[in-house]
Amino acid sequence: MSDAEHPAEPHEHHDHDHDVEGPGYATPQAAIEQAEREKTAYVMGLHVGQDVDAPDFLAVVDVDPDSDTYGEVVDRVQMPNKGDELHHFGWNACSSSCHIGGLERRHLVIPGQRSSRIHIVDTKDRRDPEITKVIEPEEVYEQDLSAPHTVHCIPDGEILISMLGDADGELPGGFLELNDDFEIEGRWDPPGEIDMNYDFWYQPRHNVMVSTEWAAPQTYYPGFDLEDVEAGKYGRSLHFWDWEEGTVEQSIDLGEGGQIPLEVRFQHTPEGTHGYVGAALTSNIFHFWEEDDEWHAEKVIDFEPHDHEEWDIPVPPLVTDILISMDDRYLFGSNWIRGEVWMYDISDPSNPRKADTLSVGGYFGDIQEVQGRELVAGPQMLQLSLDGERLYWTTSLFSSWDNQFFPEEGEKGSVMLKADVNPRKGTMSLDEDFMVDFGEMPEGPARAHEIRWPDGDCTSDVWQ
Amino acid sequence: MTAHEVELEWRDSDRAERLTVAAGETILGASEAAGLGLPFGCKTGACGTCTARLLDGEVAHKRLPRALKERHLADGYVLTCIATPTSDARLEVGAAVQADLVPNPWK
Repeated sequence: MSDAEHPAEPHEHHDHDHDVEGPGYATPQAAIEQAEREKTAYVMGLHVGQDVDAPDFLAVVDVDPDSDTYGEVVDRVQMPNKGDELHHFGWNACSSSCHIGGLERRHLVIPGQRSSRIHIVDTKDRRDPEITKVIEPEEVYEQDLSAPHTVHCIPDGEILISMLGDADGELPGGFLELNDDFEIEGRWDPPGEIDMNYDFWYQPRHNVMVSTEWAAPQTYYPGFDLEDVEAGKYGRSLHFWDWEEGTVEQSIDLGEGGQIPLEVRFQHTPEGTHGYVGAALTSNIFHFWEEDDEWHAEKVIDFEPHDHEEWDIPVPPLVTDILISMDDRYLFGSNWIRGEVWMYDISDPSNPRKADTLSVGGYFGDIQEVQGRELVAGPQMLQLSLDGERLYWTTSLFSSWDNQFFPEEGEKGSVMLKADVNPRKGTMSLDEDFMVDFGEMPEGPARAHEIRWPDGDCTSDVWQ
Repeated sequence: MTAHEVELEWRDSDRAERLTVAAGETILGASEAAGLGLPFGCKTGACGTCTARLLDGEVAHKRLPRALKERHLADGYVLTCIATPTSDARLEVGAAVQADLVPNPWK
């Protein structure tokens, strides 16, 4: 393996044996074969916006069924300041750098969505991680950016973070680049390429990155106001970027039927030019793909609104998260308000086929308590085991939006739940023996958001 | 310019605190120095996590209160992270006040 000496050269994985020199796995299939079952989960825990005078924290959750502390928060790393709203987070390196010797998947990059503060946490000791660096908001504002969201590593050690606003919390957003010492390198994109920003994913073999749109921080931070949707303040477009150049090559307006496109995923196979995005407000899934050197997007799944007997207008199921299994065979998603997780067969990417659903939590879920604990909200952030056999989720969306739709979430805290998945049969079943209660934290009930595994996962690993 | 006395009252609770806020100081800054634990987020006026409601007196926002719409300002909502009292004042505070800003639109 000589790639480590020539990291700039195109990376040909088919020549490899499975002993990669850097972090991660040679291929998505190698990840499935080689990864041990996850024993530790890192989960964002929050006290922001509560009458709990404590900072947000990184929760270390024991997910090893052979352990005495299975299903418990076994360690917490409290942030140095209050008010961050920890939300999404990511690794310093993933399988996209598997050819870089000496680089390890070891440091978590944990932004504060409200504070614009960025924390670096060393997980050398997996059950006792520690904060090693903090980038203060003032340094971020100097780039005229704020509201950090998605973290992806760039092959070779740098880190890219989607930023949803300018220093005042208005538009435009952009992307912040950190170097491999976790210092701000600068703004990645020339200002003005995009207005709104949210999630992104890149597919380096095709020199493409795709980004989505939420709204200006000053718009979505205080809560979800339908007036703002009517005023066009929420997004409905996808942006396809030249990954090398950092410029937008093509934008696609998803139209009235594609409002608030949030989580976006490419297939894991580095050859793949198919991906999906969940349009949260209109509660549907768009498939996008490249054909004739152009990107196309088409609605492929539509979730119908519900009548709620005490509410005035039909309420959308609210698709808030999606992910693709490591074998690219299934698309999983959550309908937060409805109270449902679902899995669709995407072996024919243009024609997703419903495989199974699980009706749990939310306003319409069949299962409303687990182990005697009332769920108080629907499934939200998802994470899947690398082998595709265990789907986990938490139940908080965003503190101020929780207050609107599931006000009890702040009073009772979130839960983390799990379903056992049979990828051969395309079925899911709730594992009622597993439940992590974030209502039981020492300082008071906490919200819980994104989940990651120490050895890579289905929402961050990318291949060159 | 003088310091002002600010009374804080938590909603649905008997809790009340008195705070002396120096001239030009924010209500949140004084509250944090006193260890009262008011909620907050961005500290720039964009996010509204620190929203309180002015019951008596006057405050001035030191920068644009972007998280608040006209209707919120008209109803007396203020952002403690950027608000400084310009008279003695009384405010309703606590996490529940933020939730007033935008109700569930489908309900």
